[in-house]
Amino acid sequence: MIEFNDVSLVYPNGTEGLKNINVKINEGEFVVIVGLSGAGKSTFIRSINRLVTPTSGSLIVNNEDILKANGKDLRKLRTKIGMIFQSYNLVKRSTVIKNVISGRLGYTGTLKSIMNLFSKEDKLLAYENLKRVNIEEKLYNRADELSGGQQQRVSIARVLTQQPKLILADEPVASLDPPTSHQVMKYLKQINREDKITTIVNLHFIDMAMEYADRIIGMRAGEVVFDGPASEVTEQTFEEIYGRSIRDEDRRGGLEDE
Amino acid sequence: MSKESSFVPKGLYPFKTKLIITISLIVVFGFYLLSSIKTESFIVHFFVKLPNVFGLVGDFFPPDWSYVNQVWPKLFETIHIAIIATTIAVIISIPFSLLTANNVTTNSWIYQGMRLILNIIRTIPDIILAVVFVGLFGIGAFSGIIALIIFAVGILVKLMSEVIETIDMNPTEAIRASGGNGLQTISFAIVPQVLPQFISFSLYVFEINIRASLVLGLVGAGGIGQLLNTQINFMNYPAVSTIIIIVFAVVVVIDIISGKLREGLV
Repeated sequence: MIEFNDVSLVYPNGTEGLKNINVKINEGEFVVIVGLSGAGKSTFIRSINRLVTPTSGSLIVNNEDILKANGKDLRKLRTKIGMIFQSYNLVKRSTVIKNVISGRLGYTGTLKSIMNLFSKEDKLLAYENLKRVNIEEKLYNRADELSGGQQQRVSIARVLTQQPKLILADEPVASLDPPTSHQVMKYLKQINREDKITTIVNLHFIDMAMEYADRIIGMRAGEVVFDGPASEVTEQTFEEIYGRSIRDEDRRGGLEDE
Repeated sequence: MSKESSFVPKGLYPFKTKLIITISLIVVFGFYLLSSIKTESFIVHFFVKLPNVFGLVGDFFPPDWSYVNQVWPKLFETIHIAIIATTIAVIISIPFSLLTANNVTTNSWIYQGMRLILNIIRTIPDIILAVVFVGLFGIGAFSGIIALIIFAVGILVKLMSEVIETIDMNPTEAIRASGGNGLQTISFAIVPQVLPQFISFSLYVFEINIRASLVLGLVGAGGIGQLLNTQINFMNYPAVSTIIIIVFAVVVVIDIISGKLREGLV
């Protein structure tokens, strides 16, 4: 469970990233955060694993206040939180398997990991997760030899290798074409269902949000302006969240192409 | 065109530009003359003394090939000095490169401090380092090795920290987000991105060290330069030319090998 209690974040330049956020996200939910760019979606999601640090309030993740954790405790909390990025963030010159097994770093001693001494179980886990996203035949390819969609699947395998309780995805499909976007979202949804992993995804495509989310949180200017089940959301809701009428660029489309 | 133009441009450049160029040329020429007069060296002397040059060159030929056997041990000493100095410099420069890259070392005090230290090291010419260490540790290879290590660290850290500053920082964010610590982030997200350049620069520094260790011998820091110095002092010019030819051949061969290796890397 994740609980934002009066969380605010002011960046050093004075920009207010988050304003008094109060949100509770339950175990196993698939939540999509929507909003225009600059609305605070990224700040929201990155606060949960402390890639950015809120300036006030408390943020409970897995029964611990992540804002109070530092050093070793913070790293331990982070091992249970997987993160997927818009630009995949793989090490391009490394092999796929090395990228995937880096999900075990938080559980592995420094010296062992530097010498690439991972246990048999870890290697098996990494391989099984590659299988889950159907990319096991690329095991020894360098990450930069893969297409964008394949790289994002590798990054999903990396996150799964962390054996997380929570997955954060920051605009995971923004760099992909429509069919690949749906493929990536389907993997995320499937993992959420099968492994009961709480998943929070940032999106700005309204059709994808409605298609995959259990619950939608709308943000504007650092505030939560909508919070409700996806079934209650209509285009009207999005117009209220975005503060303008819906345009073509707000839709990913492409579902019927498959 | 019935109406005659009232303005005809005088030149292709404005008057001010022409004036600046003229003054600059006069100033440069003035400094050149002043320097020549003060040092009493005029480039025409080169041509006046050309017969002497040919005379001296004649002394170098034919090379004394019987001297070759005395060259090998010292030549290998030079190569050994370069190998030891490069190896140790490479190891030392790893942590220093990371500390001198502003994307890894975000603490600006440490970063600026490291840069200052390395800039000071780089301004000291290798020959001065050698003179200092020969004074401290005595004549011989050891002084040369220490001088070359410091010299090579200066170059390697400069080159490597610049490479590290250009890497893609996104993977480091991913490793940190998954609970990896600082050293794990470096070894998984930074090292793979810079390793080929690092090896390439290490070979390059090895080439530089071979050449530098020749010169360092002149001030007593071991290796073939020391032999060269002795023979020049004895005016044994045929032996000197043997040394120079062998050194030239070895340096060319090492440059070619390391150049080929580096090509394969990047």
